[in-house]
Amino acid sequence: MIATMNEVLILSGLVFILGAVCAAARRNLIMILVGVEIMLNAAGIALVGASLRWAVLDGQVFVIFIMAFAAAEVSVGLALIVFSQRRTKSVNADSFSLLRG
Amino acid sequence: MKAILALILLLPLCGALFQALLGRAASRRPAEIAACAAIAGSFVCALAAFILGWEQSFTLEFFRWIAVDNFVIAADVFFNPLSSLMALMVTFVSGLIHVYSVGYMREDPDYSRYFCYLNLFVFSMLVIAFADNVVFLFVGWEGVGFCSYALIGFWYSDEEKASAGKKAFLLTRIGDVGFGVAIGLFFVQFSSTSITVINANAGQLTAAMATAMGLLLLWSAVGKSAQLPLTVWLPDAMAGPTPVSALIHAATMVTAGVYLLMRLYPVVALSPDAMTAVAAVGVVTALYAALSALGQRDIKKVLAYSTISQLGYMFLALGAGDISGSMGFLLSHAFYKSLLFLCAGCVIQALHEQGDIYAMGGLRRFMPGVFWLFLAGAVSLAALPPFGGFLNKDRVLAAVFGNPDPVFRVFFIGALAATFLTSLYAFRLFFCVFLRPQAETVHDVRPVPGIMTGPLWPLALLALSAGFLNFAPEWGGGAWLPRFLETVQGSVAHIGIPRESERMIAAVDALLALTAVLLAFVLYGPVRLFGVRGPDARQPARGGLFSALYLDSFYRSFIARPFEVLANILWHVADEKGVDRGIIRSAEIFPNLAAGIRFWTTGKLSTYLGMLFLGFVALLVGLTVTFYLGL
Amino acid sequence: MTALRMVFYLLAILIVASTAMAITRKNLVHAVLYLVQSFFATAALFYLLGAPVLAALEIIIYAGAIMVLFLFIIMTLIGGYTGSRNHRQWIFPSLLGLASIVSAGVLLFSSPASETGLIAATASPASFGRYLFDKYWLPIEIVSLLLFVALVGALYLGTHKGKSVAQIEVEQ
Repeated sequence: MIATMNEVLILSGLVFILGAVCAAARRNLIMILVGVEIMLNAAGIALVGASLRWAVLDGQVFVIFIMAFAAAEVSVGLALIVFSQRRTKSVNADSFSLLRG
Repeated sequence: MKAILALILLLPLCGALFQALLGRAASRRPAEIAACAAIAGSFVCALAAFILGWEQSFTLEFFRWIAVDNFVIAADVFFNPLSSLMALMVTFVSGLIHVYSVGYMREDPDYSRYFCYLNLFVFSMLVIAFADNVVFLFVGWEGVGFCSYALIGFWYSDEEKASAGKKAFLLTRIGDVGFGVAIGLFFVQFSSTSITVINANAGQLTAAMATAMGLLLLWSAVGKSAQLPLTVWLPDAMAGPTPVSALIHAATMVTAGVYLLMRLYPVVALSPDAMTAVAAVGVVTALYAALSALGQRDIKKVLAYSTISQLGYMFLALGAGDISGSMGFLLSHAFYKSLLFLCAGCVIQALHEQGDIYAMGGLRRFMPGVFWLFLAGAVSLAALPPFGGFLNKDRVLAAVFGNPDPVFRVFFIGALAATFLTSLYAFRLFFCVFLRPQAETVHDVRPVPGIMTGPLWPLALLALSAGFLNFAPEWGGGAWLPRFLETVQGSVAHIGIPRESERMIAAVDALLALTAVLLAFVLYGPVRLFGVRGPDARQPARGGLFSALYLDSFYRSFIARPFEVLANILWHVADEKGVDRGIIRSAEIFPNLAAGIRFWTTGKLSTYLGMLFLGFVALLVGLTVTFYLGL
Repeated sequence: MTALRMVFYLLAILIVASTAMAITRKNLVHAVLYLVQSFFATAALFYLLGAPVLAALEIIIYAGAIMVLFLFIIMTLIGGYTGSRNHRQWIFPSLLGLASIVSAGVLLFSSPASETGLIAATASPASFGRYLFDKYWLPIEIVSLLLFVALVGALYLGTHKGKSVAQIEVEQ
């Protein structure tokens, strides 16, 4: 036995929450993107664990998809960061406040 | 029969719809022809119904209007001699007045609105005449009230005329409240609002309930018929076009009150107290209005007060228990009073809207036709023997005299006094307008078109002859009307008083009327007698009689004025300071609340992400909690 | 405690620790490097859990491509400097994180199947590939479309100059 399913889920949950905290707490756009990456990765861990637990390959297949989404998201996200950095000379999320009510 | 009755009602309604929808598009001539044709068709049908339904009483169901559980309101027609006679009179008089209106309104650009209201009025009046259900009757009742309002204020751009319409509307509403309560009571007592059912079961009522119903009906009739204490609207209603005054405020609508009491006579007759009240209202109003008519200077106002006074006679006759006397009086009054009004309309138009009788005089020379017509009307109004008005008034007086209740002796004396006054003001009017030396204000008399004088001749004929319907057998007459109305519940064919008294009454009546004519001749006649100087147009218009015994100002200062003050207080204090400020203050709460919430929308990504996270955690915690609570 | 279990625990600790380090670093380059470390550990974990293909992909895509992309951007744009750190901004997210850890833990431990053990097994790359393209060929095509769209979007954003904030404010 490698681990119990519970332990895999706890690991995955911890990493996910760390990513969420990162996305919510950091003000740097790049760090927010990093937080999102961490969260996606954590979901991957849970899926791989579940794939082993039920001996079904679909979990691993979904990790492939997640990786593809992450790649797409990062490429567009970073392009956006570059784009906005050109405009505002800042990568601080708080300097974008046109939506303020 | 059903088709004929339906046509009587529907033709004026279709006419009104035609005027409302197409009247503006159609040019003047087709619109006028359509209006007159609708009424003429209705008259022909009414005549056919009158002949075919001779002395019959029946109910015809058209459609169920409202049916909730046992509360059924059907648009039924209750046909009896009374309603057929009323319908005949209404369609006849209104037909003639429509023709007259074509001439009278020949220069008014708003002819389609005028004829629309007029046709609608005839429809509503016919609904009153035929309705079997009191609620259905109430529709007509309100319909005539609305048309009256709309036509009094027909020239609405004139502030005074528009407010006269409002006044009439509001004052008649006071009466309608009574009618509304009466309808409720009817339903509670009889579980039905059908007049046939009510009349058939009236005997089950307790004395107190019968009195209450009688008084409520009297109340509603008082509003519509402008009796005391609600007289004040009718003189002001003269602001409308003269044909309207003739049709609505003399011949038909104002008699609706009397007609209602006749229709529900079995209920009213149950209570001697209610009957006495009806008679008392009638005689007091007759005297009051006759006195007021003496003081008026506007030709139409004299006629308006005269109408009130004559309606008082109808109430008196009804209170004395004589339906056919009242109905006969109603019919002949409709003829001679509309005749007088229409003549007055001719005079006023000929003199360029001049209504002051002291500024008239000598008009006989200019308009001989109208002179003779007016004379016929005045003779009928003054009840000079042997013409129609006399016979009807004689029947009323005999009915009052024949009533066993001692208080009716007092009413009898009052009625005699009113007879004298009626004759006096009728001929005062006649002499002032036509026979006095011509006032210098009279010049440039416009010719009156033939279409205006033409319809007056049949009216005059009927005014002079209608009384023969009531010709008592004592005088060799057939008493045709009382016998025709015999089948109507509560009607009496013969008044049981001795022949000697009957003759005595007639003699006294005739003598009083003639004396009054002589007195009028002395005071206002064409030649100066006994050094009496006739009145002058330059005299200031004031005095107790001119102000109708100050009744209107009494209402103004004791009802309208306190009401106005109260309304002002409510407006400025309760509404502006209380309600308005309260609403404004409470409205101000929301911007403040919103300002409190506004900090959520910082426009910052981190806030939104934080909120997203918070939502996720809330879901998770909620899931845990529900899991542990076993929900 | 078996050796494999020991490895699992070591990797778990390594992942959590390096992730925690990554998210708290003031210097972005450091953060990304810690993250790369975390991804390497994750790749090892994937191998442990019987997914060698994913382990390779994790290293190639995450640790390789994505993180290198991050590093490029950081180096070219801001050179790793993020300015002063405000400690207060951590309070609210940390509280939320704590709350979610507690409730998720409670839920996990109350599950009766939580103690199911994971027996070692391996999905060989060949069988995994066959399974993937047997059953999921259409989603794979759709995902490739998504990547293509992302490529176009990134290109557009990268070549387009855009307006400055000052310009936008003037327009408003």
